[in-house]
Amino acid sequence: MRKNESLVAHLDWPLFIVYMILLIMGVATVYSTAFNEDHPNIFDFSQKYGKQIMWVGVSLFLGLMVFLIDSDIYRKFCVPIYLFTLVLLVIVLFMPAVNGAHAWLGIGSMGIQPAEFAKIGTGLLLARFISNVNVKQQNIQTVLLANAIILVPMALILLQPDAGTFVVFTSFLFVMYREGITYDPLILKMVNSIPGVKFKQTWVGSHFIPILFVVVFLSVVTLLMSNETLEFSWLGGLEIPGFWSVIIALTIFALIMFLILRFFSSRRDRNRATFVVLFGYILASGLATTVNYGFQGLATHQKDRIELFLGLKEDPDGDDYNRNRAMAAVGSGGFTGKGYNKASVSSVESNHVPESETDFIFCPFAEEWGFLGVFVLFGLYMFMLLRIIMIAERQRSAFNRIYAYTVAMILFYHFAINIGMNIGFAPVIGIPLPFFSYGGSSMMSFSMMMFILLKLDSQRRDVLQ
Amino acid sequence: MNFDARKYVIITFVVLVGLIYAMRIFYMQVMDDTWTLRAQEIAEKRKEITPPRGVLFDRNGKKIVSNRTYYNLMMVEADIKNLDTVAFAKLIGWTREEVRQRFIDIREGEGVYRNKHTGKTTPNYQKIRAYPFLKELTLDEIANIAPHLEDFPGFYEEVTSMRSYPFANGANIVGYLSEVNAEEVDADHFYKPGNNIGRAGLERYYEKELRGRKGIRYIVTSAMNNAIEPYADGKYDTTALQGPALKLGVDILLQAYGEKLLQNKRGCIVAIEPSTGEILALVSAPSYDPNLLIGKRNISTNYPKLLKDPNMPLLPRPLSSEYPPGSTFKLLNSLIGLQEGVITPESGFPCNKSVVGCHNHPSAGNLADAIKHSCNPYYYAVTRRIIQQGKKRSNFEDAEIGLNLWAKYMHSFGLGQKLETDITGLRAGSIPDAAYYDKWYGHHRWAFSTIRSISIGQGEVMLTPLHMANIAAIIANRGWYITPHFVKSIGKSGPLPEFRKKHYAMVESRHYATIVEGMRRVVHEPGGTGKRAQLKDIIVCGKTGTVQNPHGDDHSVFVAFAPMYKPKIAIAVFIENAKGGGGLWAAPTAGLMIEKYLTRKITEKEREKIILEANFVYK
Ligand SMILES: [Zn+2]
Repeated sequence: MRKNESLVAHLDWPLFIVYMILLIMGVATVYSTAFNEDHPNIFDFSQKYGKQIMWVGVSLFLGLMVFLIDSDIYRKFCVPIYLFTLVLLVIVLFMPAVNGAHAWLGIGSMGIQPAEFAKIGTGLLLARFISNVNVKQQNIQTVLLANAIILVPMALILLQPDAGTFVVFTSFLFVMYREGITYDPLILKMVNSIPGVKFKQTWVGSHFIPILFVVVFLSVVTLLMSNETLEFSWLGGLEIPGFWSVIIALTIFALIMFLILRFFSSRRDRNRATFVVLFGYILASGLATTVNYGFQGLATHQKDRIELFLGLKEDPDGDDYNRNRAMAAVGSGGFTGKGYNKASVSSVESNHVPESETDFIFCPFAEEWGFLGVFVLFGLYMFMLLRIIMIAERQRSAFNRIYAYTVAMILFYHFAINIGMNIGFAPVIGIPLPFFSYGGSSMMSFSMMMFILLKLDSQRRDVLQ
Repeated sequence: MNFDARKYVIITFVVLVGLIYAMRIFYMQVMDDTWTLRAQEIAEKRKEITPPRGVLFDRNGKKIVSNRTYYNLMMVEADIKNLDTVAFAKLIGWTREEVRQRFIDIREGEGVYRNKHTGKTTPNYQKIRAYPFLKELTLDEIANIAPHLEDFPGFYEEVTSMRSYPFANGANIVGYLSEVNAEEVDADHFYKPGNNIGRAGLERYYEKELRGRKGIRYIVTSAMNNAIEPYADGKYDTTALQGPALKLGVDILLQAYGEKLLQNKRGCIVAIEPSTGEILALVSAPSYDPNLLIGKRNISTNYPKLLKDPNMPLLPRPLSSEYPPGSTFKLLNSLIGLQEGVITPESGFPCNKSVVGCHNHPSAGNLADAIKHSCNPYYYAVTRRIIQQGKKRSNFEDAEIGLNLWAKYMHSFGLGQKLETDITGLRAGSIPDAAYYDKWYGHHRWAFSTIRSISIGQGEVMLTPLHMANIAAIIANRGWYITPHFVKSIGKSGPLPEFRKKHYAMVESRHYATIVEGMRRVVHEPGGTGKRAQLKDIIVCGKTGTVQNPHGDDHSVFVAFAPMYKPKIAIAVFIENAKGGGGLWAAPTAGLMIEKYLTRKITEKEREKIILEANFVYK
């Protein structure tokens, strides 16, 4: 009895409420998108919205279960949990393929995707492993082991194949980065093998992961934008080639970062901050330029391969078709949107945007609610991500903090890639928008992830570590 | 080592991605309307309903151009299942190879969509959309196919409207339709690929009226191209409106009779109602059955044949062929001479064959007899007096003034310029003036003797048969004309304002009596050159002409109007290479036409038989 009281008192209500709001918005969007005139009842379980409500119910029930179990179990049993998800990932490979991938376990629409749950298992084990490591003595063995925890499920997922979830698993690298597990030992070993060189630390090795993220993100955006021309009608029809708009955006961000760091950093760090921003700006611009002109200089077949991957080229699966239609749906939303249930491009019935209730659910939302709706949605997601980071940072236990970061980073990756897919900033690799997209596995796994976090957070004071 | 500061790197990433995405979406949704347009293209289908074109009636209310229902055999590739190509080819009467090729042609015919932003192209053809596999099938044809379509899922019939011509006459008047080309689609947003447009004749001239107003339904469509619902509850929809009916001045039965008379001949008949300028008949021989050019299938088989025919049935000769008018031109020289006062009705000139050849006849003692005998030396004398009026001492300078005056008169008769008739294909003909001859002979290097062939309508003078008929109408009206035209009324409105205006020739009406009397003598007095145009109870006034033709037999010309008082019909008949003067072939043809129009029957059966049997084409 006392325990439950403390749960209510110690639950992080802001995060829980944002989670609930997103669930409700998601169900409402699925209802609007997949609306079937013959089955107008939102609780009609033969329809996707009815099923989604059912998944929400199941998820909340699982959440309640999570709350009732002592949080210690996740620390103690993280290895069995991890192994269990691995076994599921192996079993699923022997299941019949659906849409060309062995991703589904179970029968028909009641099946689950083990890859979704593998995120939780991997997150828990990684948290356990890193929290036990003395990071000050990090060595090659530690780095390799941490990577192995991630790479084993990644390899199994790639066998399905499921490129989207595969990419999402790289979000764990960010968690490692936050905890100081970097590739520096590897790089040091290589560098120091050169006679006469004796580094204690390399900057590139330490910050390899964020650098990689920036390089990949900037390269993909530059490549996708290099095909576009932005037209500004309110500036007298000014046309800016996509590449130059990337450079202009980089300049603006550099200035903003410069000002922020100047106001908030201590006097001692000020010069260093200025240097970092300037250096970063020059490197980023250089990278964008190299990517843009380097791509143009590539041989046709290499270009084709990259364009195919980015969905810039028409291929048998019609990625450009999806991307083009998704962008038309989003772009036609305007400032205030077409109104609820008024999506003309991205409703399931019209079928112009395939998967508009799952991977492309952002399309009908943006089409119906316009920029105002998008602004609210982004606000909610941003709040959720920053709140989780805040929760992570307030944990006394390293295990809790690391786990919270895995949740934040996985959600961030899903947000960035899924929305990016809808607005032409990311290749179409098909991953769901958390709490929003139709689908039982993602709804249950994201919810469990969230509830485990809430549970760990509510008991953070009980932990002595 | 403390890594807590690294949380700021992560927070920065999260916030930056959120900001960049928000900016991108703001740009896409609020600032750039490309995607809105693309969305409309994708989902908000404008379904255009093309109304049937306006129909055409003749002056007696007979429908001469109407619409008939045809059928398209539509195809949706995605719905086709296990197509038995052999059986299908057999059903539509094709070979297997043709069927296979047709699928390829449809796909390629749709072209490609080019993305403005990425410059990439995607084929417009979609397997889930409907395309016509066979177009413009008649009821008989579809009746053989439709019952078996059940065996061929993916194929179905669709109704469409096309022209039909109940009379098979007047092809050169009404023209024909064919599919618009790419430039026409670009130039006028009314047209979409596959639409028809008037290609010649009235169909072309009155295109904007006849095509009517398209109906537009905006519907939200699915990727399967199924209509889902009316867009905005039909707020922006418009209904299709058929083009107004055109009532023509043409008498289709007279037109048909004229075409029959000119069978196996090359030539023209133009008949005009003088008081209104309405064209009663405009025969171009040889012509063709307008039903040959209905729809793509017919056009593709028949048009090349018509185009290659050496007798040029597609050419609207009365409008586009320029001929010397021959002796019919003497009427105008008489009128100008009278108006200029260089001759009087009593003027007589000897038939001096040493100047120019003439046939055997007593010398004309007055103007009316000169017309009756069509005396060439007489008109040399008359025209010399018009051209060389002695206003200048130099013969050359005098001729220059005289010819320009003469040309001005001719222009006032509508000659040397395109008449503003409501049809395409008109030509101006030519009336030479001083500048014209200066080019040939040099300034002040020519005089009447150089250009004398203009007195008898030869040489450099060129008229279209429409001009010739209009001359007859001017004389019938004693001095004025209304621009010859086809359309009496568009829908409920009366004739267009430009077809109510009288144009006055520069010759006053008092001078016409003598000419009209001369024309009566041509037909009704012994020794007249046009006595074969004679009718029993109707006084026909006419003038023959024989046009020398360096390339073959002479052309036979006759212009006339009837009755003498209160004329109802003015007519010009031109028969190419008729091996005989105007009196022999053109005059009786005109007489028959006049009788047909005024009395609705033919009394001169023998005359009719001779004309019908005459063959100047197929030797
Ligand atoms: Zn004579």
